[in-house]
Amino acid sequence: MGEPEAKLDKERRAFIKKVLNGTIAGSLLLVIPMPMGAATPEVPEQIPGIRGKKWDMFDQRFAFIVDITRCIGCGSCCVADRREFNVPDGYYRTWVERYLKDFDDEVYVDSPHGGFDGYQSPRTDIEVEVRDTFFVPKLCNMCKEPPCVQVCPVGATFKTPDGFVLVDRERCVGCAYCIQACPYSARYLDPVTRTAEKCTWCYHRVRKGLLPACVTVCPTGARKFGDLNDKNSEVYKLLHEHEVLTVLKKDMGTYPALYYKGLRREVV
Amino acid sequence: MKSSYNSHIKRIVLGLLIFAVVGFVAKMVLTPKSFGKYGPYRADAIDEEANQEIRHMTNASCLSCHPYEANIHLTGLHKTISCEFCHGPYADHVKAGKVYGKLPVKKKEEIKVLCLRCHNKAIQARPGEVIKTVIMPEHLEEQKVKVSHTCDQCHHVHAPLKYINRAKKIVGIKEKS
Repeated sequence: MGEPEAKLDKERRAFIKKVLNGTIAGSLLLVIPMPMGAATPEVPEQIPGIRGKKWDMFDQRFAFIVDITRCIGCGSCCVADRREFNVPDGYYRTWVERYLKDFDDEVYVDSPHGGFDGYQSPRTDIEVEVRDTFFVPKLCNMCKEPPCVQVCPVGATFKTPDGFVLVDRERCVGCAYCIQACPYSARYLDPVTRTAEKCTWCYHRVRKGLLPACVTVCPTGARKFGDLNDKNSEVYKLLHEHEVLTVLKKDMGTYPALYYKGLRREVV
Repeated sequence: MKSSYNSHIKRIVLGLLIFAVVGFVAKMVLTPKSFGKYGPYRADAIDEEANQEIRHMTNASCLSCHPYEANIHLTGLHKTISCEFCHGPYADHVKAGKVYGKLPVKKKEEIKVLCLRCHNKAIQARPGEVIKTVIMPEHLEEQKVKVSHTCDQCHHVHAPLKYINRAKKIVGIKEKS
């Protein structure tokens, strides 16, 4: 007669165990806040109005504004850019230049390692009294009349209808004409693939509603990117206000979509 | 074979025809698909570029799994700093929703180098309304601490004034205006 009792005992024990486990786990859930969405983290849309809509190739206008009055030369943008695209050492899709001016209005420019390591120390190789100094981040200007596209003999670099100048790595033969044609020196020949490479304003991110990597990481908001079709975007407001906005090398007739706020005439 | 009066014309026409056919076939074979959809380039290259891997996400995506850090980071002066700048890109840490690699946390001297990337007053061109800057080691001497101190011994890296404000409140120091 002991057998059924023993069985019952075991069942009861298992039942009590289950109930206890359930209550403990349940109360713990209430007490400890679980990290939400651990499996699929929400990535908020940084450029409003892009997700959940079909990309209209012919109805896009973007602009990039670099505010050099806010740039502190930390080099976050260069670090992010290198990591986003795995750019080989010694090549730069974006870089930060340092301009120094002395009391005779002479200009000294340097950019050690493209600003990748930041600017840790003042310049020691010149013996002049520095009157003024500022940083100028450089990247692709996304010209409306791009000289690099004109010179490409195989149609490997082109301007998309939505306004981005891109490189087709499959078609590029590595002749480097475009590298010479670019007035802003924004291009380089990739040492591994032997094809031309350049800043794309993070086209792959923009298409998914994210800001370019360099804009995302900029701690001071010196780099701004936005949709000009959106009248509430920061770039739209800046471009339509009385701001000191200029482009680089206007006389080249390239009509860049990259504007600099507070740019000085010394910058080329 | 006796050549007729118009055989040379036939030969020329035939030659032109063969040239046209060969040329047409060669063009069909050699021109990449989607070439010329928007212009004299391969339109598929646009999609290839658009489908590249995204390696950096946003602070929100990092902080959604790190609520403890979020609480500190979002309340401090460093809230505009990207997590990925100091710790490395998201793609090296998470892949397909799963943790995939460990990101480094900067320690001691590395932290000092990292802080001075932005906060070094010796580099001019850092306007006061944008960023607070200090001169090392004068700052340490001024605060009457050892010169060997690293920045994170007084300043919380995510919220630099966290401990300092707390200490001021305890001691009862009023903010200098």
